[in-house]
Amino acid sequence: MTGKGNVKINVWINEERLDALRKAGLDRLAKEEFAGMMLLEVTCTEEQKDKLLEQYPTAKYDSSTTHSIELLPREVKDKIFETSLQLRSTGPEVIENMLSRGGGK
Amino acid sequence: MTSYVGHNGKTIVDRVEADGREGRLGGMLTIPVRREIAHEIISLSYGFFTPLEGFMNREQVESTLNEMELPDGTLWSIPIVFDLAPEKISEYGLRSGDEVLLEYDGSPIARFSMDDIFDYNTDEMSEKTYGTKDLKHPGVKRTHSYQGKFIGGKVTLVNEPKFNPPYDRFWMTPKQHIDAFRKKKWKHIVAHQTRNVPHTGHEALMKQAWFAANEDMPVDQIRTGILVNAIIGEKRVGDYIDESILLTQDALRQYGYFREDVHMVTFTLWDMRYAGPREAIFHAILRTNLGCTHHMFGRDHAGVGNFYRPYDAQDLLKQYREKLSIKPVFLMENWYCPECAEVTNASVCGHEKKAQNFSGTLLRSILTDGVKPTKKVMRPEVFDVVMKSASDYGVGSPFVTEKYLASRRPIFNLRKMEVQKA
Repeated sequence: MTGKGNVKINVWINEERLDALRKAGLDRLAKEEFAGMMLLEVTCTEEQKDKLLEQYPTAKYDSSTTHSIELLPREVKDKIFETSLQLRSTGPEVIENMLSRGGGK
Repeated sequence: MTSYVGHNGKTIVDRVEADGREGRLGGMLTIPVRREIAHEIISLSYGFFTPLEGFMNREQVESTLNEMELPDGTLWSIPIVFDLAPEKISEYGLRSGDEVLLEYDGSPIARFSMDDIFDYNTDEMSEKTYGTKDLKHPGVKRTHSYQGKFIGGKVTLVNEPKFNPPYDRFWMTPKQHIDAFRKKKWKHIVAHQTRNVPHTGHEALMKQAWFAANEDMPVDQIRTGILVNAIIGEKRVGDYIDESILLTQDALRQYGYFREDVHMVTFTLWDMRYAGPREAIFHAILRTNLGCTHHMFGRDHAGVGNFYRPYDAQDLLKQYREKLSIKPVFLMENWYCPECAEVTNASVCGHEKKAQNFSGTLLRSILTDGVKPTKKVMRPEVFDVVMKSASDYGVGSPFVTEKYLASRRPIFNLRKMEVQKA
């Protein structure tokens, strides 16, 4: 573990994903954003953020408003969601676990 | 004889020469044109810009910018110009009165009878068209990229474009639009301007516009239709790809969200100028020429950034209402209201504080993640079509990327012609 996470990665949750979260007892972590679409906020550390941006050059960090990593490839976001479910967590251990397994690749 | 009447009661312009007359083109001076000009040649020749028959001369540009009308008093808002570098004009030895052959992508496209070669101050053109000289405005940037001199004159299409799939299913000339409406027996046709993949907010706007356009006509025999007329032209990275726009708009009818007899999708070749109010006037003129009787105008129509206030376009349309040959349908924005548990309109919903606004950024983020939105946000079939078109045409993305721009299949091709050069 590399410290407390203060960088956000937003994962969209639809009905199908909400069902999976419910089964894992994590549905309370998803917050309603828009017309039934929910967001799961996974956090990571500054160090993990730098690693992700290095691995995925198309991704951007919004440092001024949302403090979140945007435009991560779809496969990476899928992987983050799966890892979050598996670890029953939304903390930095999700990204640490994913990076240790070679990221979303 | 069938009549085709367009903006300000003028007959729809038709300057298209029949195939097989290329022999007449031999020996003419040939000038290559870029995509932007080629698209406008096609639109001018088929009458999308009726009553214009060609690129504007100086008098027409001045009158458009200063009086919002053509010299004969017909309402007009956006300059339609042909630009060329002064050195090219010298190199070709061009003079007013000359006729040249314009060529696009290696094929002849049109005859151009030049009646005026002139200079125009692009700062003035920008400020009067867009209300700003700020180069951050894409229309201003476009105006400043003009090559120094302008040439006015009539164009005649000598080589009709052959549209590639999927565009071929959605292409109609103005006369073909009017014929299609007559065949459908539509009396009222409301135009919906779009460059978007539809979410449920857009769909609701179209339905609201249908009711407004139906006015006092009976509902037991439907005689009102919605024309979804997509703007296909210059693309910027991050825009929806053209193929996704057309196919998803059409999917709304195919999957029953609109009845077969009230909805149709076509497109117009036009580069958005993002001129806000003046572009709204132009869209009204354009859709009049397609045979529409009504035109829906929502919040921030044809705007960009913070250059215009949300209802500036509607205000200008009201100002010129008497000179329009189409009835504007004004709407406020739709939002999702968790209290009403539906997509509703700002004009009628009393839960403003709880309203959840449709935002392009939000939709983009959902689609980029490839997560199927809830039905309240986007129809599942629309999402499936977006994803399929992304794979078929967008190198994996429903949004324009550099890769898409470099590799996209042309919208149309021109027939190769053997023409003897000058």
